[in-house]
Amino acid sequence: MTAYLQASGVDVSFGGLKALNDCGFTVQQGKITCLVGPNGAGKTTIFNVITGFLRPGAGSVSFKGQTLDGWKPQAIVAAGIARTFQNLRLFVDLTAIDNVLASMPAQTGEEPVAAIFRPFHVASAQRHRRVEALAILNRVGLIERANDFTRNLSYGEQKLLTIARVLATGAELILLDEPASGLSAGALDGVMALLRRLQDDGKTLLVVEHNTRVVQQIADDVLFLHQGHLMAQGTPEAIVNDPALAEIYFGGTI
Amino acid sequence: MLALQLLCNGIVTGCALGIVAVSFSLVYATTKIFHVAHAGVYTMSGYVAWSLLRHGFPAPIAFVGAIAAATALGALIQGVLYARLERRRATHLVVLIASLGTLAVIQNILAAVFTANILQFELPWGSQVFHLGGNVRLTMTQLLTVLVNVAAYGGVMWFSHGTILGKQIRAVASNPFLAEIVRLQPRRVHIYVMAIASALVCLPGILVPLDFGLQPYNGVTPLLTATIAMIAGGVGSITGAFVLAIVITELQNMSLLFIPGEWSIGVTFFIFVVFMLFRPTGLFAAAR
Amino acid sequence: MDFWFSYIALASIYVLLGLSTNLLVGIAGIFSVSQAAVFGVGAYIVAFFLMNETMSFLPALAIAALCCIALNILVTLPALRVSGDYFVVTSFGIQLLATAVFTNWTDGTGGANGLPGIPPPDLAGKALESSGEVVSLCVAGMGLGCLIFWLVMRAPFGRLLRAIREDELAVAAAGKSVLRAKVSAAALAGAFAGTAGGLYATFLSFIDPSSFDLDSSILLLTMVVVGGARTLAGSILGPFLLLALPQILTLVDIPTTVAAAARQLIYGVLLIAFMLFRPQGLAGEKL
Repeated sequence: MTAYLQASGVDVSFGGLKALNDCGFTVQQGKITCLVGPNGAGKTTIFNVITGFLRPGAGSVSFKGQTLDGWKPQAIVAAGIARTFQNLRLFVDLTAIDNVLASMPAQTGEEPVAAIFRPFHVASAQRHRRVEALAILNRVGLIERANDFTRNLSYGEQKLLTIARVLATGAELILLDEPASGLSAGALDGVMALLRRLQDDGKTLLVVEHNTRVVQQIADDVLFLHQGHLMAQGTPEAIVNDPALAEIYFGGTI
Repeated sequence: MLALQLLCNGIVTGCALGIVAVSFSLVYATTKIFHVAHAGVYTMSGYVAWSLLRHGFPAPIAFVGAIAAATALGALIQGVLYARLERRRATHLVVLIASLGTLAVIQNILAAVFTANILQFELPWGSQVFHLGGNVRLTMTQLLTVLVNVAAYGGVMWFSHGTILGKQIRAVASNPFLAEIVRLQPRRVHIYVMAIASALVCLPGILVPLDFGLQPYNGVTPLLTATIAMIAGGVGSITGAFVLAIVITELQNMSLLFIPGEWSIGVTFFIFVVFMLFRPTGLFAAAR
Repeated sequence: MDFWFSYIALASIYVLLGLSTNLLVGIAGIFSVSQAAVFGVGAYIVAFFLMNETMSFLPALAIAALCCIALNILVTLPALRVSGDYFVVTSFGIQLLATAVFTNWTDGTGGANGLPGIPPPDLAGKALESSGEVVSLCVAGMGLGCLIFWLVMRAPFGRLLRAIREDELAVAAAGKSVLRAKVSAAALAGAFAGTAGGLYATFLSFIDPSSFDLDSSILLLTMVVVGGARTLAGSILGPFLLLALPQILTLVDIPTTVAAAARQLIYGVLLIAFMLFRPQGLAGEKL
């Protein structure tokens, strides 16, 4: 059986620093997999490798049995993998709905020729897309803010918008970089409920998360990364209760 | 022997453009500003020297005066314009347009004051000729150009590796954030860098027009050659910029044997395109 | 020709050029000092075809536009792949090279003396002889250009370009090709500049290299900066204001020898002042 997402032997170094060192793991379809580990363990780096923003020195990533090595970010999104960023990277001068629309694949009028010669066709296609975009905003609970400029949204709302944007790409494997950090307790519950709903929709989630409570509540599977290498993989209980891992995580031996 | 003479001339102009490239590279590597207005500082220094000579000052004083004026102009551009834009978090494009505006202002003030016509220096000693073997001639000006610019190159090498300020500049260039933490005050360092680079570019700014005369819009082509040399040599490498400026000027001069002079800009640009295609990081790129 | 006629015709042509520069500089975020070179290529191509009577005005204009699209793509593509700053070098290089070609390729361009006696434009077999007709043609060209710009910017393409101006990495993460969008913008900019060139050549019936040099490119940049980046209003306002400037200068008593320098000096001052105090221009968005 081929794994859904598989990374094997991935090496990345910046200058002399090894960010990823023979890093390998698998992610199962339909599961919420959490990626944990101390700061600098290489969690965001492996995201960058999977999504094609960083070319590893060695190793390979495959998705549904197909290798992604050397693919451009846009090809990887087209294959069905999309991500959020820890620092959000929203288009803050665009409205919330425009952020979602800008992430939808293959739209007519996305190049000048159709925009000029088929304006009415483009406009009617856009009306359909707006309905879809509103449905996505509704899914994450931002329907009321659809026409507000993104810079005027609260931090929690902006985080939800990053998830809406990933959903807009139509990806089936979603990589979330710290979706819960910096949120109030109430917002946190909302995000966790949303992630479970996405799982019910058939999405697969790979989530970088620091908050152990979140990990314990949502994760089906936990990957523990340390110094760019997979230290352990298991259920949340097994990982959280492992004294050796807790020592690394909280003991500060980075 | 035309070829030998061209070779010789190429080295002379190459050394001069080498310092243009080195000074531009200092600014670019440290401040990350693509300082187009550098061409204006280059042109202005020649005009200052020319006017001081015209007013009866002896040559050494005129040259020192020009260097002082260029230094002040460079520091002014950094202090009044670039630093202010940086404080407002202006985008790269905005800074670039402001720099282009500065170039237009400097060039056209010169054109308005001195007219757009070509001005020649009247220094009798400058055209004193030395005969090298094989009918190759070298004027006093050319000899001076080589000596001064090579000395300036040596000076920059010593300065950036042997002095505290030079090391600070390199530190700011490699990591401005870290440099700020250790209280190096990048802003002050940036002003120093602009002042030093402007003083440096003054040397070719005076010496080249001694030979070829002054025109207000004549700074752009040397700057273009210099930036190409900087990129081809590897951004951040002083030696790379200097050596590549000589190589490019040499290729340009040798092309005169086959191609008329008015197309030399084409030759320069062709070299750039070749580098972009085959070695965009430059020959002497620092290992990162 | 009546002053107002010539002002409106020239301003219309420069609005097309302003749209072109705005697409490249304001929207794609590519610094360019070579749009005047592309403009010139369009002008010389149309002049060539009309003077040799090889074809009528519209097909010549179409060929000029296509050539300028190709030229702008060719110019933009390699530099976009490497680094933004290197495009400054490419752009200066292209502009100086174009000036060298316009000035020195005497057989094709008439050299520094330029090409006099370019025939007036013709539509449907009828030559447009009167100044009123030519002005109408230029205004129609401007109107079409503005319509295209408006259509493009309200389509998903416009939204994509705005997103790119904010965060290229996020656009790539959304599965879009930043390079392709920028090249498309450059191509459209080329079409505008080429069309403007053809209109310019037939309107003045005389072209020479001085209309297509570095100073003209700086003027185009100033128009966009003063008018305002990324908006239709800005692209229209800038040319109309800046083309009035030489007229205003004639009211002030400046010797003619200094006039050209004084004009360029003002452009430079405007560039600096707007970047420092109003980077969004009079009617644009933040650059």
